[in-house]
Amino acid sequence: MNTKTRLLWIVPGAVAALSLPLWSNDQYQVHLAALICCYWVLIAGLNLVVGYTGQLSIGHVGLLSIGAYTFAILGGKWGWPAFASVAVAGALCGLCGLLLGLPSLRLPGFYFAMATMAFALIVGEFVLAQGGLTGGGVGLPVPGFPPPFDTPEGFYYLAVIAAVVASVLTWNVARQMYGRGLIAIRDNPVTAQAVGVPVFRAKLTTFVFSGVTAGIGGALFGSLQSYITPDTFHFELSLFFFVCIIIGGRGSILGPFLGVAVLTALPELVAPLAKLGNFFYGLLLLLVVLVVPEGIGRVFELIAQRLRPRSAVSVPVAPDLPRLARAIASIQALK
Amino acid sequence: MLMVIVSGLAIGALFAATALSYNVMYSTSKVLSVTTGHIAMLGGVFGAYAISALGQPWWLGLIAAIVVGGLFGWLTDLIAIRRVLARSDEHLWLLSTLALATMVQQAVGLWWGTEPKPFPRLITQDFSAGIADQKFWLPIGLAALMAIGLEFFYRRTMYGKLFLAMSEDAFAARARGVSTDRIRVASYVIAGSLGGLAGFAAGQLTFAYFALGLTLTLNGFIALAVGGLGSNVGALVGGLMLGLLNTFASYFFGGEYQQTIAVGLLMVVLLVKPEGLLGAQNVRPV
Repeated sequence: MNTKTRLLWIVPGAVAALSLPLWSNDQYQVHLAALICCYWVLIAGLNLVVGYTGQLSIGHVGLLSIGAYTFAILGGKWGWPAFASVAVAGALCGLCGLLLGLPSLRLPGFYFAMATMAFALIVGEFVLAQGGLTGGGVGLPVPGFPPPFDTPEGFYYLAVIAAVVASVLTWNVARQMYGRGLIAIRDNPVTAQAVGVPVFRAKLTTFVFSGVTAGIGGALFGSLQSYITPDTFHFELSLFFFVCIIIGGRGSILGPFLGVAVLTALPELVAPLAKLGNFFYGLLLLLVVLVVPEGIGRVFELIAQRLRPRSAVSVPVAPDLPRLARAIASIQALK
Repeated sequence: MLMVIVSGLAIGALFAATALSYNVMYSTSKVLSVTTGHIAMLGGVFGAYAISALGQPWWLGLIAAIVVGGLFGWLTDLIAIRRVLARSDEHLWLLSTLALATMVQQAVGLWWGTEPKPFPRLITQDFSAGIADQKFWLPIGLAALMAIGLEFFYRRTMYGKLFLAMSEDAFAARARGVSTDRIRVASYVIAGSLGGLAGFAAGQLTFAYFALGLTLTLNGFIALAVGGLGSNVGALVGGLMLGLLNTFASYFFGGEYQQTIAVGLLMVVLLVKPEGLLGAQNVRPV
């Protein structure tokens, strides 16, 4: 896809997204779209870790939960201004990402995945154990944002702004030298190190960035849910983020975005899928991994290749005789 | 205090059995399957189903657990490993086994229910038996038996030697005429039936619970990484250490931070001795 066709898709999509509260007469659709945006803020950062750097983090729900609880405690219990709480939530999750990444990013693939999964479980344990701070199993109400973001439509626009900022940031990283370095780490860490990519530092920086986006996404997510319990942040949510990226295709930004949009909306539109829930996500992940490990986008590329008849352009090859004669003549003149 | 030690040993034996099951699969395929804990979960659930719901005698439940475990091990290889190993991307098996594990967990959750259900008594015994209770000694005995059996299998039988040959160098084994694919399938079936057996033996300790798989996958892996990847003695030592640490921590500090302590142990061992207590030295990837 070149830039022009991409714009052809993105501009109408953006217009439709921005005008959604105007033409949608269903409050629930706005809620769903805001949820997609909240998820995307997290997934945009996670995409750099999973899709670009190839570190399979399956524990980002832990960071999401820390962000949401930080926002709820600061903004709700202690009465801080909402946007200051969001900033602190992002900073705290960045710090947690640093603390988690420092030991675990040195580990090979499966060890890292298990360490992040353990992190998610530890956060769940901690939330339950610190009942005085987090409300334990009962949960905690989460405050909203000040006007003009206090209505569902207002919150939706806030979420859209956050999502756009997150996308621009990740796109900026991905398209530059730094992003190429990340892809090199994913494809072959030894080679990447040999050509001068600072492997560990790049991984750690990316992971901390994903922690910050997860914290901000978590704050928005908590505010959208308006009440959070430890059950809100079950481990399967982590799997859901992960599946969105793998299905959308690694090393792409549009792919995972479409992945999260479709996978969030699909169970709402098709009722039987909602009952199967995570079974369906597991099946989808298995199918994608076995059939098209490059992501669903690859299927469309393959279909497009099939449909478009390959026009064989024949380029006649003929020697440029006068030039050849001149060259021979000049060589003979030299002798 | 004795009670704490015995229950720690029992839960540690379950972790050790899971770690052994990891080891069997790892030896032939160099894959750490996320489904390992789910195999044990299936053994517990199907054992309880056969005995409680269908009213079969305990030995039929045992056979059901072993058969279901073996079948699921075979399915793991068939669905999640075989096609993926043919590709060169080393991360794909992690994704495919994770997907399969999720599917099994959800399917069992939908069919069996999401509440832990009690596991029936296997031997008639009074509930006041204390530390002599079967729910402690069954998993401990089984883990010891599994380790001895595996050691015997590796040292004394031809098939065991083929396993060892594959774990040393799969290409060389193939060049010598070993059917590596068949050995790998055999290892998954064996690991599956061992895992099913472990889940069955520890059923009274853990209950028949659909979400047990993920916890066991994690704790079995921690036991394995602490003890040393590929070492059966290491798996036993790591599992028992982890189990004792877990129960002692909940005895002294309360039960809220079990996972934190387990991961703390893993991190300490990985920082001090990255290959685990009894593991072989890692080879550089170049």
